[in-house]
Amino acid sequence: MLSRIGNSLFWMGRYIERAEHIARHARVQYASSVDAPLSQKREAVLESILDMATNREGYFNVHSQLNEDDVVRYTAVSETNNFSVLAYISMIRENARGARDSLSIELWEAINSFYHKINAFSTAGFQAEEIEYFARRIEQNSYVIKGYIDNTLLHNAVWMLISLGIHLERATQVILILQTKLKDIEKNNSSKFEEAVDNFQWTTVLRSIEAYDMFMRCKKTTPNKHHVLDFLLFDTAFPKSIAFSLSCVKQFISSIPFPDEEKKKESLEFIAGKLACRFQYTTIDEVEEKASEFLKQTLNTIYEIAGLLDVKYLKYH
Amino acid sequence: MEAVMRQEMSSGVFGNYQVPPQFLDEVFNSAGGVNPHYENIYQQFVKFNKEEFKELNEQAKSAFFNQGITFSVYSDKAKGVERIFPFDLFPRIIPAAEWARLEEGIIQRCVALNLFIQDIYSNKHILKDKVVPAELIFSSNNYLKAMLDFKPVGGIFTHISGTDLIKHSDGQYYVLEDNLRCPSGISYVLSNRVAMKRLLFPMFRKLNISLVHQYPQELLATMQSVAPEGVDVPNCVVLTPGVYNSAYFEHVFLAHNMGIPLVEGRDLYVDKNFVYMKTISGPQRVDVVYRRLDDAFLDPLAFKPDSMLGVPGIMAAYREGNVNILNAPGTGFADDKAVYTYVPDIIRYYLNQEPILNNVHTYRCEKDDDFQYVLENMDKLVIKPVDESGGYGILIGNKATKAELQEFKSLITQNRRKYIAQPIMALSMHATFIEEEGRFEPRHVDLRTFTLLGKDRQYVLKGGLSRVALRKGSLIVNSSQGGGSKDTWVMTDDNFQG
Repeated sequence: MLSRIGNSLFWMGRYIERAEHIARHARVQYASSVDAPLSQKREAVLESILDMATNREGYFNVHSQLNEDDVVRYTAVSETNNFSVLAYISMIRENARGARDSLSIELWEAINSFYHKINAFSTAGFQAEEIEYFARRIEQNSYVIKGYIDNTLLHNAVWMLISLGIHLERATQVILILQTKLKDIEKNNSSKFEEAVDNFQWTTVLRSIEAYDMFMRCKKTTPNKHHVLDFLLFDTAFPKSIAFSLSCVKQFISSIPFPDEEKKKESLEFIAGKLACRFQYTTIDEVEEKASEFLKQTLNTIYEIAGLLDVKYLKYH
Repeated sequence: MEAVMRQEMSSGVFGNYQVPPQFLDEVFNSAGGVNPHYENIYQQFVKFNKEEFKELNEQAKSAFFNQGITFSVYSDKAKGVERIFPFDLFPRIIPAAEWARLEEGIIQRCVALNLFIQDIYSNKHILKDKVVPAELIFSSNNYLKAMLDFKPVGGIFTHISGTDLIKHSDGQYYVLEDNLRCPSGISYVLSNRVAMKRLLFPMFRKLNISLVHQYPQELLATMQSVAPEGVDVPNCVVLTPGVYNSAYFEHVFLAHNMGIPLVEGRDLYVDKNFVYMKTISGPQRVDVVYRRLDDAFLDPLAFKPDSMLGVPGIMAAYREGNVNILNAPGTGFADDKAVYTYVPDIIRYYLNQEPILNNVHTYRCEKDDDFQYVLENMDKLVIKPVDESGGYGILIGNKATKAELQEFKSLITQNRRKYIAQPIMALSMHATFIEEEGRFEPRHVDLRTFTLLGKDRQYVLKGGLSRVALRKGSLIVNSSQGGGSKDTWVMTDDNFQG
């Protein structure tokens, strides 16, 4: 497989997962502001929507203050934002187009028609309430596309590269959601601690990752930091946990026919394997106190893996 | 009798069809009767009423749109405009005997032109014998010094040629143009046939029509036949300038149908005079490149230094014999419209045969007599720049305004080498469905044929792209200038009664 094609497939997978997570997080956060206990300020919700998608800086370059419609529009559809959900949908299609020859017709058509439908969405008068409808379309179509990926492609290097992108990105997005929330809670703590707020925050996290009911089934307890982190970091049976995603990353990296590397310690397979194992053999008690630091380290290693992938195998010009 | 019938059925799609008196109509004779090889298909089409046919036509259009069979038109806007190549459902039919002669003529012409190119880049016998004037070759922008004394595998330079033919009012075929660089259009031929089979399946059972679908395999076999020496299982690729190229659909189509990688310049690199493609499993050697990229962009080290599309160093690898490039660089001087006039002499010189296909008489503005004739008879001539394609920069004398004639007069005078003129040829006409009218009308057509030359193998696609000038009275068939296409059926035998 050409490196350029591999690059397109990998990024197609990443953007699919990224668009879905940003859309869902914005939707859940926005809806949560309605149910929020009094002390949960609206601004905090808007800030967390921007932070999770790393859009804060870009937003304040074009807007002077936080405004509900502006924040949601900027995150979802704004043309001035190169990292809006809409922009990611275009990038999914561009990458799919570049690798069209490797895809099934069904997958290509699903992506192409999704792109056209979403582009027909009027961006001009986009209001914050519309995020509910908009994000649901994104989430549903993301699952349709992933359904075609899993069920119409040969499970060879093509499928593994897309899936590698999906799982690497999923781990990244879950970490970003958790980091944003830990930061929110920290801010909250400094004012005044309330258990209701804490509970509300962790429930919102679970919903942003579509993990609430599975969490309840597993843990049978009120969501709090300890249990939610335990579930989202280490539950190897839950497909959105970081441990699950990293185990997939490890597996795909060792199955894709990359050429053998000379130095074991610097090899991609070694780094990815070490990271996956770390999640397999760590307990929440070891990391709960320094959760932010642990997540940061994990994210850096994920970025290192993505960087090595690019430099070693997917670079083409 | 048919003429009477058509008038009676004025509600049908052939209602009020006027056979053009001054041109040859492929379908109808001058008395209004149907030519025998069209009888069968005409009987099928005449049964459609306007509404049925319109619906069929819409189905065909949406099939093309959904498959993404489009091309981009270069315009002054930053982004090219995407269009469907208009496709006409009424096929052009060529009887078997007529085709056999054509095919012979096309091969003769392509073989001679290949020998001509080989000679020009080596001994230059034809120049020394003063059959073709040397300055004509050396003044061409497409003559490449980088090709001097180089002989590609099997001596083949023009692996893929597109010979454009027209049928004149005298019933004879004439060659209008030889395309020896990167002729395009084959993907439309194959897609048109697929669409026709889907929509008009029953008609294929009644007629014996030559197949076209094997073209990609023939092209692949041609590529493999000219692999560098010592390579048993050559790695063949199609090299495209990228997704924004107007013919990108065709590049994808060909790569896909041959089952070989479609690469861009940035996928390839040269190391120690070998060409490699970058894959996720490391470098993989490339042996044969079917490039859909002009010479100038092929190698920034050898040609245009600012080309981002090409592969630095590929010419050196090519000259070392480590990779083959189709078509060979530097073939463009031979399909120059000024060289065109010498092709009959070229055929006689190398093959010692009389040319089978006719050449249109051409006036070369660089010759004083011809130049004078052109200036005095501009209204009776088509004037063309020698080195442009796509129907750009052409003047059709009898359609031009006084101002345009005046403008061309000064253009030609300023650069005589750049212009040739030909009598206005009466391109044959063919019944074509005109959407706005909801019925068939005669329109001018030409025919692009596709020829492959490999090491010890020759192939002419039995069919081709019949291009239609959709604008009433227009003679310009290029897709960028409002042209459409028709499926072209070459009969396997001339038993018309089927």
